[in-house]
Amino acid sequence: MPATDNQGSFLNRISIRRNQVADPNLELEDLELFQKHVADRLSDLLPVPTPTPCPAPAHAPAPVSSTPKNHANNNDTNTDQPSSTSVDSPSADHGPPPPPPMLSISWFRKLLDVFLCCEAEFKAVLIMGRDPSQFCKPPLDKLIPDLLDRAIKALDVCNAVTHGIELLRHWQSLAQIAVTALEQRPIGEGQVRRAKRALSTLLTSMAFDDKESNNSSSHKATERAWSFGRRGGGGAAANYGHNPKDKPAGTFRSLSWSVAKSWSSAKQIQAMSSNLVPPRGAEAAGLALPVYIMSAVLVFVMWSLVAAVPCQERTGLATHLPVPRQLVWAQPLIGLQEKIGEEWKKKEKKGTAGLLEEMQRMEKVALSLVEFADSFQFPLEDAKVEEVAVQVAEMADICLKMEEGLVPLQQQVREVFHRIVRSRAEVLDVIDQVGKMSTPVPC
Amino acid sequence: MSTVDTAEKEKPLPENVSSFGSTANDGNTDDAQGHQGGLDNQQNPTTKENGSEKAESPDQSHTPKELGTDNPLDTEKELPTATGEINENEEEVEKAVEGDPTTEAASEVEEPSPLPPDLGKVSEEIDQYISSLSNSSLSSKNDDENSNVPIFVEQFAVLFEAKIDDYDSSDNPVKWTRLTDEDSASFLEAVNRVSKLLALLSEFSSDYKYAYSINRIGSVLQRAMTYVEEEFRSLLEEYKIPDHQDPETVVNNPSSSSSSTNAQDGGEQPPHTNNNDNNNNNDNNDNLGYSEAILSELSRLAKAMLVGGYETECCQVYFIARRNALEETIHKFGFEKFSIDDVQKMNWESLEREIEAWIRTFKQFATVQFSRERKLADAIFVDHAATSEALFSTLLRGIVVQLLNFSEAVAMSKRAAEKLFKFLDIYETLRDVLPKMDNGLLPPQTLDEIKSEASLNRSRLADAVICIFCELENSIKADAGKTPVPGGAVHPLTRYTMNYLKYACEYKDTLEQVFREHQKIERADSGAGSEFDYNTSQADADGNQSNQKAGQSPFQVQVTKVMDLLDANLEAKSKLYRDLSLSSIFMMNNGRYILQKIRGAGEMNSLMGDTWCRKRSSELRQYHKNYQRETWGKPLNCLMNHEGLNVNGKVAKPVLKERFKSFNAMFDEIHKTQSTWVVSDEQLQSELRVSISNMVIPAYRAFMARYGQYLTPGRQTEKYVKYQPEDIETYVDELFDGNATPTGRKKL
Repeated sequence: MPATDNQGSFLNRISIRRNQVADPNLELEDLELFQKHVADRLSDLLPVPTPTPCPAPAHAPAPVSSTPKNHANNNDTNTDQPSSTSVDSPSADHGPPPPPPMLSISWFRKLLDVFLCCEAEFKAVLIMGRDPSQFCKPPLDKLIPDLLDRAIKALDVCNAVTHGIELLRHWQSLAQIAVTALEQRPIGEGQVRRAKRALSTLLTSMAFDDKESNNSSSHKATERAWSFGRRGGGGAAANYGHNPKDKPAGTFRSLSWSVAKSWSSAKQIQAMSSNLVPPRGAEAAGLALPVYIMSAVLVFVMWSLVAAVPCQERTGLATHLPVPRQLVWAQPLIGLQEKIGEEWKKKEKKGTAGLLEEMQRMEKVALSLVEFADSFQFPLEDAKVEEVAVQVAEMADICLKMEEGLVPLQQQVREVFHRIVRSRAEVLDVIDQVGKMSTPVPC
Repeated sequence: MSTVDTAEKEKPLPENVSSFGSTANDGNTDDAQGHQGGLDNQQNPTTKENGSEKAESPDQSHTPKELGTDNPLDTEKELPTATGEINENEEEVEKAVEGDPTTEAASEVEEPSPLPPDLGKVSEEIDQYISSLSNSSLSSKNDDENSNVPIFVEQFAVLFEAKIDDYDSSDNPVKWTRLTDEDSASFLEAVNRVSKLLALLSEFSSDYKYAYSINRIGSVLQRAMTYVEEEFRSLLEEYKIPDHQDPETVVNNPSSSSSSTNAQDGGEQPPHTNNNDNNNNNDNNDNLGYSEAILSELSRLAKAMLVGGYETECCQVYFIARRNALEETIHKFGFEKFSIDDVQKMNWESLEREIEAWIRTFKQFATVQFSRERKLADAIFVDHAATSEALFSTLLRGIVVQLLNFSEAVAMSKRAAEKLFKFLDIYETLRDVLPKMDNGLLPPQTLDEIKSEASLNRSRLADAVICIFCELENSIKADAGKTPVPGGAVHPLTRYTMNYLKYACEYKDTLEQVFREHQKIERADSGAGSEFDYNTSQADADGNQSNQKAGQSPFQVQVTKVMDLLDANLEAKSKLYRDLSLSSIFMMNNGRYILQKIRGAGEMNSLMGDTWCRKRSSELRQYHKNYQRETWGKPLNCLMNHEGLNVNGKVAKPVLKERFKSFNAMFDEIHKTQSTWVVSDEQLQSELRVSISNMVIPAYRAFMARYGQYLTPGRQTEKYVKYQPEDIETYVDELFDGNATPTGRKKL
């Protein structure tokens, strides 16, 4: 795993140095390096600012997001275009592999890698070779409990996201049904109905998830639609988004995939960020800074996961995290956060199930395929067949991306989970030592 | 059979239909509608007998279809009332179902329909067609290209569709279990036929002439599969959670399959399934939540879907239904979901209850539920081992992850002494229960994943356990109170520590394991220990332990350490007493208590070893001697040191008087103070009294015997001989009673 390799060498370096001397200058250097690394890693995730001279119009059907170069404007223009296609040639372009489209599965995998690297480095800065007694003196004595508490909350978010990815896999297989059905030739009524049935279930489930999470008074808010459209051959889509009274609850057997009753990911994020205050004055040069940086990164990562993946109760999810602009290291983080925040605002208006790029595309293609199904008449004209084929190919591409990416992403979320647990335990160990060394004072 | 004739009579039809097959351009949907309309008419004679359906069919035969495609929700809402009607007309319906074959035959003869109405006959033709298609080589298939799709394909489509309509009418679908064996078998055969036919026809998909038929058959297959899927789902959802504690009480699925389904359970099912249902639910030890009869239906439906290429749908339905069932089951065993955050905030009493529920649930699932679930999957997906395994392992994984999440959260909760034992319970559960799942039910990959999650979880619990146990050291060190316990009694710290240790030793083997496998010696350098696997750190820890006393396990070392600390602490506390005798009593009391606790518990005893106990005993004897010397040295000296009493062979009376006086005073004083002292261990108390009596009384007797005579009997004797030897014994027996006012018996 690339994350582990990085930190390995880093840890060595730090530990060697720490073991030699406790030189305050070197420590300062470590802190600076840490800031720099965090900033560098995060800015790798930013979309390339200007699209490199890529003859976009030359490719006749502008690919939605397959060529990552495009994803910069992907957010504003292309996404509104309902059924643009995707030629699945991800990095057929020249040059080094560009960053994956923002908010895509592979982007999130990269984000989690970044998190793991930063976390390893942070721990090295915070713990290694340090006099444990510092943990019980200001400013750490106050900051550490907050850090540990935030870690706990992040774990719940990880679990919620894991469930969300599970739901995505469910959606993926629904989409796959549609793809399989519509790849048949000739496209017949049966196939179309089969596809529509699956897609309607998919869309209802997406909407259900979304609606439910917008309705906090409903006791089902913690539950999630995990069902297949019922009898009636996929008519559910006809109501999708139109009639809020037609909650699929009657026809849906919903399944609680929840973290816990009345758990809310929005509130959790809120709780994680509320006590996040940048260090001031003299503290800003000491250990308070890396603690703050790491917490900000943690909150950002969790927040963006919650925004992207269906998550329990997201109503009121912040669109903005309080990170002061004047901090140099924070620029990329602020940049990313603003982009995602904008997307989220749009999402709240439009009501999609999450910002994950693949999912948004899936929803769009699904809607358009349902529309197609509604007006379907056998036999289909050749032009129509072509048109559908393009959409089906895009859906197939999305499914493939999910097939390839979701399980590794889920595993990575689990890795993050375990890492957080372990780091928390290590910090506790240090505090424990302090407790043993001095007269037992509750630390 | 008359039907053969009917079929032959209709011979001219083929050309008719095939020609219209090629002109299908002008909107086949209309055609389909037309056929369906025709079918409805044709079906009327059949439904006439059919009490409840008759009333609805004329005006509803069209509307439900529109409803069906536009708004399934509405039709769903109507379901309960519809089934209610069924219940009312239940008997009639059953009659109708049984009577079906005959009436069908009758209608076939009477009906002057342009179509041959016998599905059986057409099916035979289809089967022949299928076999000819699948037997013919590719070249001959090309030859066939000129030939049209035979007419009976369309006939079959129309007939089968009619049947589906009949069963799957959108407002009043026929429950699968209400079909007779014959009907359901022929339905599934037809489904199978349709899917085979479609597969074969699809080979000609490039040929336009086949397009219509492919579309037609594909459409029929989809309709049939929708019905099969719905029936599969609704049967799956009518499970009963097998009750663990009391297999006799079969608890009904409490949630969504509400009262209407229960009512159906009771009355609606045909007798043959009903009987089986009841018998199996009660007798079957391996209660899978479904009766044998239902299981076999589920298996048939699943097979139809898998064979017909609807595996994804089938698996989704199965997964969701079983996932819900498992969630309900897990809830029924009392396991509630809590966020990790919640667990941290929960008070210990509630958390303790949740842990008990967790242990119960986890054991039940690992030992019973999962293997049932596997059996269920295998029973339903017969001959599809891979599908069954995949579904089962995903289901199981979901539940196990949920369960492990709780124990993970507990392991992270704030460490406190009282939590040790529950933590150990969880640890033992994880350790003992998990191997039970290693019984071939799971694919190795899932098993490995679960195992590694569980072992991480165990490491964390072990860390917590070690930390809590080592906290004992701190709490002993921290106990530095300056107030001595009145009367030299057993110190609360001793009681606490020993009871804690005694309780802990009930988990001796587990604690041994925990310390052996998980103790990190160099916790100080946590940075170094951070990034590598816990397993390697265990190995490391084992290596580091070589510096420990040979032959002692890490846990023993830890307990010895605690005992040493306790000793040191008590030693310090004993110094708080100004009276050295009391100090000795205090040490005896506490030492005795410790020894009793250790000897009282076999685990403890073996842990500390005989040598240790012997050493403690001899220490106790030493304290005893110290006490004797301190308290009784002077009084005894008074009695036994005859120096000065005999002056020139004569007894010096004043000295003698003085001796008596000072002995009396000393004894009084001892009695006064030491009867307030506390020796609560009865044996120790009597040992002390006996040893005092054995020392003092003989000396006193001897002294009396020798010198008593020198005192003038009467007034003088009364004045100086305050105690008779028997009195001494009585008073000694009042020592160490802990009486604040030892005057009560003195007056005796």
